[in-house]
Amino acid sequence: MIKSILKKALVTTALLTVATFSAQAKDTIVWWDFLGGGDGVRMKAMIDEFNKEHADTVEIQATTLDWGTPFYTKVQTSAAIGEGPDMMTYHLSRLPLGVSSGALSEITPEELAAAGIKGTDYAATNWKAAQVGGKQYAVPLDIHSIVLYYNKDLLKAAGLLGDDGKPKGLDGAANWDAALAKLTANGVQGLSTATADGATLWRIFYSLLNQQDGQFMTADNKFLDGANLDKAVKATTEMASWVKNGWLAPQTEYPASIALFTSGKAAFHINGVWEVPTMVDLAKNKKLGFEWGAVQLPTFYDHPATWADSHSFAIPNNKGKEVPAAKRKLVLDTIAWFDKHSLEWAGGGHLPAFSPVREGADFKALKPNSDYSTLAATAAFDPVSVLAGVASPVYDAAGNFLIPAVSGDLAPKDAMDQMRDDLQGQVQ
Amino acid sequence: MLKSKRAEMLTAFVLIAPFVLVYAVLFVYPTAKMVQLSFTNAPLIGDGDFVGFDNYIRVFKDRLFSTAVWDTVYFVLLTVIPSTLLGLLIALGVNRLKGFTQSLVLAAFFLPYILPVSVVYRIWSWMFDKQFGIAQYVISAFTGGTHVAVFRTIPLFMPSVAFITVWWLVGFNVLLFIAGLRNISTEIYEAASLDGASRFAQFRRITWPLIWPVTVLVMTIQLILQLKIFDQVYLFANGGRTDATIVLVQYIYKWAFQKNQGGMGATVSLLLFAIIIIFSVLQYQLLRSRGEK
Repeated sequence: MIKSILKKALVTTALLTVATFSAQAKDTIVWWDFLGGGDGVRMKAMIDEFNKEHADTVEIQATTLDWGTPFYTKVQTSAAIGEGPDMMTYHLSRLPLGVSSGALSEITPEELAAAGIKGTDYAATNWKAAQVGGKQYAVPLDIHSIVLYYNKDLLKAAGLLGDDGKPKGLDGAANWDAALAKLTANGVQGLSTATADGATLWRIFYSLLNQQDGQFMTADNKFLDGANLDKAVKATTEMASWVKNGWLAPQTEYPASIALFTSGKAAFHINGVWEVPTMVDLAKNKKLGFEWGAVQLPTFYDHPATWADSHSFAIPNNKGKEVPAAKRKLVLDTIAWFDKHSLEWAGGGHLPAFSPVREGADFKALKPNSDYSTLAATAAFDPVSVLAGVASPVYDAAGNFLIPAVSGDLAPKDAMDQMRDDLQGQVQ
Repeated sequence: MLKSKRAEMLTAFVLIAPFVLVYAVLFVYPTAKMVQLSFTNAPLIGDGDFVGFDNYIRVFKDRLFSTAVWDTVYFVLLTVIPSTLLGLLIALGVNRLKGFTQSLVLAAFFLPYILPVSVVYRIWSWMFDKQFGIAQYVISAFTGGTHVAVFRTIPLFMPSVAFITVWWLVGFNVLLFIAGLRNISTEIYEAASLDGASRFAQFRRITWPLIWPVTVLVMTIQLILQLKIFDQVYLFANGGRTDATIVLVQYIYKWAFQKNQGGMGATVSLLLFAIIIIFSVLQYQLLRSRGEK
């Protein structure tokens, strides 16, 4: 920890020193991100590539900060005194809070057009998730979601693997339940997922809710209103039944849930696409011991839908320091460059938000990403509210009410009633 | 005469001015600002409008606030006295050892104290992991083979986090007690054993009264520290049923940083500040007067 902080400090100092002494003619872009994981390595490679390509004109000075609440607090405090970066990464789900606290700067249609960024180059729901009140505040970089990881060997033995190497006959809650029942045998459980982690359960729950056209929060700030409550109870009851029937272990921590799958003790695993590199690396080093794959979540109810969030680029609203138009143009050109080069970013499991890349031949050849890329068309983004999004009160509520409901400590109906009341009480 | 006194005053003022200035800027001003913030609906950054006692009414009406107060008090009860007594017990034992053995044993008890809280969390969360944790072998022996998700079972949460906290921090108490024990002159013990006092009588009549000031100090330090508990509770409950195990500082964090309501954050902070002052002054006075009897 201390070592990595020292390293970061040294790198930052080195960067600053280089910046101070380098030629004045070169433009610099100060960049903040929260990508400290496996995907951060890929982002650094992309930044290096950008800097090399623009060696005579532009240089990105990147700093990686702590993910989550610390990052967004820092952005907000620094923007308030005009010391924010020129650009930064941002979760689309956290955009509403950023806008309401005045930390984000609006990107005008003229500016977007000047940089050649078009809304039609992105999935419609994705582009809309980058807006608050009809105004554009960010440009999406990727779509990340949850997917169904599966153990091909176990599925084949159970007769659930199609000729194309993908699971078959999982659509419809009854079929899915039957598959889990069949796969749970000989010390193997049908499914593993982080049942002790509210965020993971939220992503599954929100997918199941949207598959029934349920609305978690209506436009007039009503949580689980009317028939939406029944749909939520239905989704929760389904999830709780997996535990009740012994197909899914309750109270499993995030790392342990991955270990259950990678050690062959679970046939299915539901988790974010960001764990794709984990599986790829294990398989490459021959440590996995079975063939694996990943597909879009099955359709339990009326139509496909999967929870999704997006990493995007945003410009902070640096108070008292008006950014010259030329600099903003440069930042937007840079954003456009990264979106066009987002194939490399897809190596982290993410789906490029930029449709020409996502639908291009190179991406189609990228496995397993292209096996689940269809989910982008039916992605269900978090409700647009200051109460929703990464590390928000909604995520907390998922921990407080979904976990006991799924583990069987609380009846699904009671859990949803309490969740609604808790969140409704926080609306101002 | 008068003149020189005035000159002296001036010198004194110049000399303490830097401290007073720093104290005023870094402590008095922020405190006053916090009190003022607690009467506004300010967001995390920037000013808000005056709302009178609305924030206070809202806090006292909030079910989560009473949970936070109770959980904090419960945690204090589980940690302060046990870690003080355990510290004294270990110190008494270590004090009887000599030379290298003493240093070795002392180091062994002190080692956890130098670990950062994130490391402590990692160690214990893996040891108690429901699927793969090594401690599950011990738990299985009591439950007849069933694994228990210790940190995800609400009634077990506070006691186990308190246990880990005591394990983590007791080394510091041991250090303070050893320093205290070494201050007690050996002559007193020699005189006592010549008079035929038993070991227990020696402890009761000599060690306990003479170590009392250190005990009071340790308990007060522990009390203030544990009333401000955040790290361990936050880490072990993260992602789970956080509302059931929320403590006061976590409640402040939730308002100020997660919900972006600086006014509410300031209100709860002020209440915690008051609670800490009342508790620690009360405890210190109570214990000190008892010791003087």
